Amino acid sequence: MTTNSPSEKRLEELREQAWKDGVVAGRGVDVAGGPIPRKPGYYGQPVVKPPVWTWEIPIYFFVGGLSGMSAVIASAAVLFHHVDLARTAMWLAAIGVILSSILLIMDLGRPLLFINMLRVFKHQSAMSMGVWILSTFAVCVVPGLIALELHAHQVLGGTLGQLMRLVAGMLIFGSAFFGTLLATYTGVLIGATAIPAWFLHRLLLPIHFGTAGLGSAAGLLELLGHRLAALNALGYYAAAVESALLIWLSVDKHGMADRAIHEHGSGWVIRIGEILTGPLALVFRLFGQVPLAAISFLIGALVSRFGWIAVGKVSGSDPESVFAAERL
Amino acid sequence: MIGEGIKSSNQRKHSFVQDHVEVGFFTDPTVCIGCKACEVACKEWNHVPDDGFTWSGNSYDNTGHLGASTWRHVLFLEQDRRKGQQIVGSLGDGEDPFRWVFLSDVCKHCEEAGCLEACPTGAILRTEVGSVLVQNDVCNGCGYCVVSCPFGVIDRRPEPLPDAGGAFKCTFCYDRQKSGLVPACAKVCPTESIVFGRLDDLRARASQRGKQLQESGYSDAQLYDPQETSVRGIHAFFLILGEPEAYGLPPKPQVPTIYLKSAWTSAFATAVVSIIAALLAFAFFS
Amino acid sequence: MAEAHPVGFRWVMKAKERGAAIIHVDPRFSRTSALADIWVPIRAGSDIAFLGGLVRHLIENDLFFREYVIHYTNASCILSDEYRDPEDNGDGYFSGWNEEKRAYEGNSWLYKGGDLSRPLRDLTLQDPQCVFQKLRRHFSRYTPEIVEKICGISPELFHKVADALVAASGPERTAAICYAVGWTQHSKGVQIIRTAAILQLLLGNIGRPGGGILALRGHASIQGSTDIPTLYDILPGYMPMPRGGKEETLQKYLEAHTTRTGLWSNTPAYFISLMRAYYGKRATAENDFGYDWLPKITADHSFFEYLYDMADGKMEGMFLIGQNSAVGAPNSRLQRKSMAKLKWFVIREMVETEPAKFWRDSAEIERGELKTEEIETEVFFFPAAGHAEKEGAFTNTQRLLQWREKAIDPPGDCRSDAWFIHQLALRLIAKAKASEDAIDEPLRALDWWYPEDEKGEPQMEAVLAEINGWYTNPVAGVGDPGGSDGVVFAIDRDGNAHHGPQVNGFAELKSDGSTACGCWIYSGVFGSNGVNKANSRKSENYLGHGWGFSWPSDRRIIYNRASARPDGTPWSERKKLVWWDSQKWTGIDVPGFVATKAPEYQPDETAEGLDAIPGDAPFILHEDGLAWLYVPKGLQDGPFPTHYEPLESPVRNSLYSRDTNPAVNWFTRGENRFAPPGDARFPFVLTTYRLTEHHTAGGMTRFLSHLSELQPEMFAELSPEVARELKIDNGDYVCVITLRGAIEARALVSRRLRPMKMNGKTVHQVAVPFHFGAAGPLRGNAANNLVAISGEPNVTIMESKALTCNIIPGRLPRGPAFLDWIERHAPQSGQPLNLHPEQPPPGGPTGGRFSRGHAMEGKAE
Repeated sequence: MTTNSPSEKRLEELREQAWKDGVVAGRGVDVAGGPIPRKPGYYGQPVVKPPVWTWEIPIYFFVGGLSGMSAVIASAAVLFHHVDLARTAMWLAAIGVILSSILLIMDLGRPLLFINMLRVFKHQSAMSMGVWILSTFAVCVVPGLIALELHAHQVLGGTLGQLMRLVAGMLIFGSAFFGTLLATYTGVLIGATAIPAWFLHRLLLPIHFGTAGLGSAAGLLELLGHRLAALNALGYYAAAVESALLIWLSVDKHGMADRAIHEHGSGWVIRIGEILTGPLALVFRLFGQVPLAAISFLIGALVSRFGWIAVGKVSGSDPESVFAAERL
Repeated sequence: MIGEGIKSSNQRKHSFVQDHVEVGFFTDPTVCIGCKACEVACKEWNHVPDDGFTWSGNSYDNTGHLGASTWRHVLFLEQDRRKGQQIVGSLGDGEDPFRWVFLSDVCKHCEEAGCLEACPTGAILRTEVGSVLVQNDVCNGCGYCVVSCPFGVIDRRPEPLPDAGGAFKCTFCYDRQKSGLVPACAKVCPTESIVFGRLDDLRARASQRGKQLQESGYSDAQLYDPQETSVRGIHAFFLILGEPEAYGLPPKPQVPTIYLKSAWTSAFATAVVSIIAALLAFAFFS
Repeated sequence: MAEAHPVGFRWVMKAKERGAAIIHVDPRFSRTSALADIWVPIRAGSDIAFLGGLVRHLIENDLFFREYVIHYTNASCILSDEYRDPEDNGDGYFSGWNEEKRAYEGNSWLYKGGDLSRPLRDLTLQDPQCVFQKLRRHFSRYTPEIVEKICGISPELFHKVADALVAASGPERTAAICYAVGWTQHSKGVQIIRTAAILQLLLGNIGRPGGGILALRGHASIQGSTDIPTLYDILPGYMPMPRGGKEETLQKYLEAHTTRTGLWSNTPAYFISLMRAYYGKRATAENDFGYDWLPKITADHSFFEYLYDMADGKMEGMFLIGQNSAVGAPNSRLQRKSMAKLKWFVIREMVETEPAKFWRDSAEIERGELKTEEIETEVFFFPAAGHAEKEGAFTNTQRLLQWREKAIDPPGDCRSDAWFIHQLALRLIAKAKASEDAIDEPLRALDWWYPEDEKGEPQMEAVLAEINGWYTNPVAGVGDPGGSDGVVFAIDRDGNAHHGPQVNGFAELKSDGSTACGCWIYSGVFGSNGVNKANSRKSENYLGHGWGFSWPSDRRIIYNRASARPDGTPWSERKKLVWWDSQKWTGIDVPGFVATKAPEYQPDETAEGLDAIPGDAPFILHEDGLAWLYVPKGLQDGPFPTHYEPLESPVRNSLYSRDTNPAVNWFTRGENRFAPPGDARFPFVLTTYRLTEHHTAGGMTRFLSHLSELQPEMFAELSPEVARELKIDNGDYVCVITLRGAIEARALVSRRLRPMKMNGKTVHQVAVPFHFGAAGPLRGNAANNLVAISGEPNVTIMESKALTCNIIPGRLPRGPAFLDWIERHAPQSGQPLNLHPEQPPPGGPTGGRFSRGHAMEGKAE
């Protein structure tokens, strides 16, 4: 069927390569209906949709995680009588929750309708749960901070003061409960979607986001002057967990299904983030460089969030990853 | 059937909304002529803005994919296979199969809809006729539905298009159906490739058509209605020639809520462990 | 058909659903091919060879419908001894060719004895001088092997098609052929359709349900614009326009165009009724019913002839109404440049299309070929109403008149075309009445009686009533439309009674001036019961009676007498349509026959008019009542179709020494050159086509976002083989170039274009859609920049479907750089005007100069 002209020979070579590799790199005649496998799926069009979120969301993940875990540290601090630490932590939590709300509202396509988020409570929607977690957390944190400050400055005396202490305690423990969920639910948020690189790592993501939040809160508190051994211990703990997660992520490959992580630049952003929160932070702490460890951890936690969103965009635009994920 | 005029389910008035009857679309590419009347009718009725003027070079498909401003999308597949017993071109130099398949894609209106489950404002709901509808006055454009659709249908409309910021998709012409009318795309389809009607009727008809096609030599005709997955079937289903991947359709779509259990378990575990870690840290390292 | 008539195509799909085989013959694989059972790729311009091959196959293998052919066609008629076929001459000419005049002349094509109404016949079809034997001989060399050589269709595929056709024809089954401009826009377009007619007649498919030949028209009402014509050479109802010099008097005209037998024996009644419609009371027997006021044609006044006058600066002004010749007409560069030579230019359109802005924004302005400040044309733009904003009828491809009501008022200053013509006429007539000049007499004589509404729109149903026709004497004391006395719109503009009751069909028309009729074939649409049949919407049977009005006489299938045997019984029960019930003709359709004429009726020697047609001759428009396999008179280029190559072709004619149609008008001119056969500079065959998403020159589609986004850019379809050869990737920009011009397009590489293997030689085809132009939000180059002007001998249509071109990868240079570039690739300067060896030099007789009457047989000259 083919003649011996050079263009025919080149076409034959391309065919051979295509059959071998399943894909052809480089320029060639992109023939409709031809034997060379062209772009996968339907003209390489995405099968699902990549996320439409912009920079507000990864920053929110970072800030919200830090804020929520800050409340956890605050409650532990309160229990063990570190009132100053508790106060700083609650301030971080409160500022964090306000910042988070602003970021989320900014990301909405119709920001003025943000209040519609509270129209329903849906357990099958991670975002609905997240909205209620955030709201309840805010309701605990801000009054809790006020109560704590009032108690710390001994503004009210007597029974009222005792009441204030009780209220503060309840609110702080409430904040801790909802705060820890605030830090981890975001992993569920992106893990329970149709994006292959996300849902294939839905066990890892909540652990990572939560622990990154804990380590970020501890690190930031340390940078703000609270050089406590407990925080150092939490720093070690977080870095160790992050290191383990880095190893897990690197070996838990799913071939084409999550190649956005393992073959694409966005995956490197995640890994760089995890190196900063994991081994590097660990090494810094081992060498007693606490501020450097904290900074490394904080930067890594932020970078990793950006990485995960970027990976979502790549994976969501990749039809082959969807097909491959379904074959697993 | 074609040419039955007002007797056809694509033309006659109905009371499905009032009677709470589940409706559907059955799309048959073997009679589709790729005219795109469905795309245009949908846009005209629903005032959907244009989706860009980019020539793609992908056969005659310059629409690309479904999205916030494309609710009906005709696919054009040029393949090295046969359409049934069709004879294409000279047979002199041996078998040289070729076919051009057209298929009108649309929101699947899933039995278990990822977008509906994901929507935190309750803007997306199930109507009396079983379709999935976005209430655009409630939607605040959070974009969570966009990543929750296993078929990549719904999207958030970007600036500077009109009504930007909200999520949009096929409404199943709910407003028309409330008045007893048929969706715009089904009404204009000249060859009744898109058939609108009662879901159970359509499923029976599709099954019959599939058998008929198999018997007349369309060896790769199959029904695409993933009832055995967590999506539990789709109300806008298709008869396709060849494998779903060629149409950009996922062979085994899943509604992402199936991932919630394991993800929440991990989240709760982490939450609890984090609190314990904090307590222990303060307990032992104070 | 799926591309250009998607809604009509539903019926093809319904037929397919019921088991019909769909065969699509086309140079490219279109959306129609995708749904067909067989796609036959054909080399553009070779259709006569393919169809002729099928004709030969039927004859040689005795597969034709013998009884039908013997009785209903002129197969048995004996020809004159002087007739010579291209097979006799061997060089591709028939007898009677005059090289000097570049036309056929003489009487050698007539039946023996010269009288078309009573031919000598041999019903055994054995006589060597009979039409059947001549037909056989004419197509004897159109073998499957020759078909492969000329068309690129393998014998295997050819036989598949032939078998399918034969299986679908005969007494029990029928097959239909549908065609569109892919057959008409050729230098031998009429003959291509003739070959299909021969094929259908041999198969017995004419006049029968599910059979026939359906011409799919290019616009919604273009059938109407030949019925009530916008063509210069015919009058309403296909009567020829009078010729200056030969037909100076009414008598001469009627003599020339009235036949002794057949339906055209009533020409006087049709014509004089038309004159009464034009001139009302002023047309009397004394002044020959106003014959002198009717313009006479003195030359070829067709579009291309006056375009050349325009290009030479000889035309003062032009009305361009709902047409876009800057994009939609061939050689659009010349079209646009010629517009600059007009003194005034009136454009009526809904949007500002290319003709409206040629003077400030066009390729010629950009290239410096035209300069805005030097153009003296005064351009008037009148905004037009859209089809939903006005009332009137469309006549579609099935001869069906369908009335459209006005849904909404047009916005602002937009007005309908009827309003424009009406208001223009009122003003011109007023000016004429105020003058004393004799040249204004025809205007003064016009009977412009039409009532109008408060916006100045003429009442269109009144116009329809006039088209239907009425008795001219007003009935005393009568007023209302739809009155039971049969008078509608009785009162004219001055409040006077204008006319009498409506006629109910053209049989009622008289030649004494007692009837008036605007178009005899439409008569019956608005009869004395006052019902506008074009507006009826109650379909009663599968033929659609009760929905609209199909001319003539609401007959849905013409020549339906042929659906019954010579003895009057149907050929088969399942294909019955009309039949003789022992007293009259009856059936599902309106019989196309004199109702009481028995099947056995034989006319005597003296019979005239319809009485001269026997009871078993269905084709009553012809003098012999028979269908013409062989056309004894009326065509300019031959009684039989003959394969000629297109004017631009990659190959020579394999059958005859004559390459091209001898009688073609090449319209030789510097800007309109043709490449010689096999010119290596233009190695590819170029064809043009339509897309579903756009409509003709794009005025109604490229200005709408929802359609523009579906096909946003001009592209050229190439086969992968061509792309590989020229190193073009899908999506690259390429230039397509001919000797007329060049365009830029995106390359769409697809297997839907095939290399054609024609006897060892591979010929590549390239196809471009023609919808794009420089105006509007969606721009692209117009394909008609590439197309040459040429005139098929009978109807002066151009050949836009088979050309040669070259493809050059890369973008087209803009501005003045273009002129140097195109001179390099398609040189013009220093070249003779007639490059093609068969193209006559400029200045000589051009051939096909006067288009003869359509379907009319004037006396041969």
